Amino acid sequence: MATGNGAEGPFVLAVPSKGRLQEAAYAFFARAGLEFVQGRGARDYRGAIAGLAGVEVAYVSSAEIVGLLAAGAAHFGVAGEDLLREKALNVEARFELLSPLGFGHANVVVAAPQAWIDVRTMADLDDVAQAFRARRGERMRVATKYVDLTRRFFAEHGIADYRIVESLGATEGAPASGAAELIVDITTTGATLAANALKPLDDGTILRSQATLIASLAAPWGPNARQSARAILARIAASEEARQSREVRARLPREAHQLVETAIERFGAVSAIGEGPDSHGFVALHCARDKVADLAGWLLAKGAERVSVAALEQTFAARNALYEALERRIGAA
Amino acid sequence: MTQTIPAPALADSASQAPRGGDPANQAPRAAGERALDCFLAAGFERTEPPILHPAAIFLDMSGEEVRRRLFLTADAAGEELCLRPEYTIPVCRAYLASDKAGGIAEYSYLGPVFRARGTQGGEQTQTGLESFGRPDAEAADAEVFSLAMEAASAAGGAMLTARLGDAGLFDAVLDSLKIAEPWRRRLRRGVARGLSLEAIFIRPRLSALAQPGVLAALESADHAGAKALVEDLLAIAGIDSVGGRTASEIADRFLEQASLRSGPPIEAEKRAALDAFLSISGDPDEAAVALRRLAHSAGLNLSAALDAFERRNGFIAARGVAIEAVRFSAAFVRDFDYYTGFVFEAHDPQAPGARTALAGGRYDGLARRLGASEDIPAVGAAINLDRLMDGEKR
Repeated sequence: MATGNGAEGPFVLAVPSKGRLQEAAYAFFARAGLEFVQGRGARDYRGAIAGLAGVEVAYVSSAEIVGLLAAGAAHFGVAGEDLLREKALNVEARFELLSPLGFGHANVVVAAPQAWIDVRTMADLDDVAQAFRARRGERMRVATKYVDLTRRFFAEHGIADYRIVESLGATEGAPASGAAELIVDITTTGATLAANALKPLDDGTILRSQATLIASLAAPWGPNARQSARAILARIAASEEARQSREVRARLPREAHQLVETAIERFGAVSAIGEGPDSHGFVALHCARDKVADLAGWLLAKGAERVSVAALEQTFAARNALYEALERRIGAA
Repeated sequence: MTQTIPAPALADSASQAPRGGDPANQAPRAAGERALDCFLAAGFERTEPPILHPAAIFLDMSGEEVRRRLFLTADAAGEELCLRPEYTIPVCRAYLASDKAGGIAEYSYLGPVFRARGTQGGEQTQTGLESFGRPDAEAADAEVFSLAMEAASAAGGAMLTARLGDAGLFDAVLDSLKIAEPWRRRLRRGVARGLSLEAIFIRPRLSALAQPGVLAALESADHAGAKALVEDLLAIAGIDSVGGRTASEIADRFLEQASLRSGPPIEAEKRAALDAFLSISGDPDEAAVALRRLAHSAGLNLSAALDAFERRNGFIAARGVAIEAVRFSAAFVRDFDYYTGFVFEAHDPQAPGARTALAGGRYDGLARRLGASEDIPAVGAAINLDRLMDGEKR
């Protein structure tokens, strides 16, 4: 979807302006060397990224982020997968879920009163819902803000005898206040549910969600937007990979070509200085943090005198897997 | 509130000029006029109920699943309204609000219904008829069914094949086998959903309770004592009726789960009789013979229900419906509790995978669900003209 005459707007990255996701999101981008610069004042809702021209940062509420992405008014956005799947239809066809961000973990669950000692599964719930209706002539009520997720999940379990009561806040209080019998809500530790005398059903987890970097396929993907996307994704990939790996250096007694190949195979390492042999026996490998000790031990056994391990700031690679995933969806330029 | 008008201006102008939207509705409309003529000739007065209704009525009758098919809006006070997704409930509401409520009244209709169907648009044309208040139930059943079949054929669609069912017979079998709640409800709902007996009997057992000690202790107590114990335990925990269920209901079901550990929920011979009943299908007259034979061999008292069944079959035959176009199936029950007796649906047998183009049945329970003080005899049928004419195009 190239724009014809160079009138391409800025690349828009939508990030949460408040709430539990905000700080975590800012920290995530900062770690990738993407420092947000606020606009003219703290109340300004548009900002930029230091050193990255042509990118506009939109500070909006989480719900609005999904709306902007769906309308193609933002190229990238950070939102919980729960919200995306609730607010948008055809998620797979309209968005590319680029990368889970490792924060904002929460599950959307079906929870019933703890007092319902005969109810542990969705099948129990189906039976109880039918009995409830037969006895009272009314359907059991489910309080939730996840109307669509709830309907789909209940349909999958063949449950028909219920009514949704839309709830926009403090859903977990609905059973106690008599506004509903059950709830479908997001929970991180289950503590809020327990405090309200509710329990999640054994097979009642609708979605395991976390904050996700989402690309809109409906946004205008002109040459500048692609370039911005590539730059942002390269930095994110570089910092994420760096965070999860360590550099391991050593000098082996002789030319080490064969050994490097074995290390790559055995420890999932990559050579930091290319595949070719080094005539002095120097090796520099990047490997996952939890494999470092094994790799070091193995190198010592192969005759190294000293093995040094260092943390990495960023690791840029010629291949940008995140961008390639995006390009597969929006087409090559 | 009833708007029974002989020739609705809206419908007439619509049949002549394309409305704002959908020229694709023209052919079904013309076919609908031909079908409607059959109903009018039989004395079913044309009615045009309102298009907007409180959404809660449809959600309550059909469940949340229909919500995604409804076109929703709201009035100034915030009440959720929807465009009618079908005619039966709107016609029944209009009847109940009219001065004929409770008496005999017979209506026909033709017009748009609104159901979201993804990208395929949302407006479909329906025609149909509803009969209220007639005490001669089997004659009314037969008349409505055969008129609907005639009208579908007059509309010019494909020749349809119909499947008949009888919830009254099923209830009589459950009565006669002395199957009590909650199994009665589970069987009705399970069969309506097309589950096998096997699946129905396994389903509530899925929950493996994690307190085998408690359950074992309860099994040895008598039922009343065990129930009192569970209720007391809930009361000690300070639980009265949290979540809209009473301690007594919870205790009942908890104890039922305990009893399921020790044996099958229904005796083998009752289950065999149910199996034999549900597998009866075929030509209605032959089905009647098979049902009488089963009633005799299993010792079931089905005579009143079977008499009604045979009376209805007689009326249907007398109205000239081709017998080869009709099949009875004992397991055909609808998943709506206000359908109380005769049910039917028809589709084009020439089109594999064709969806139901004509459907109806007896719904004596609907009026009460809509606010009447008691059940009112009612039977009706609807023809989905788009589906009917789809068959024609093939």
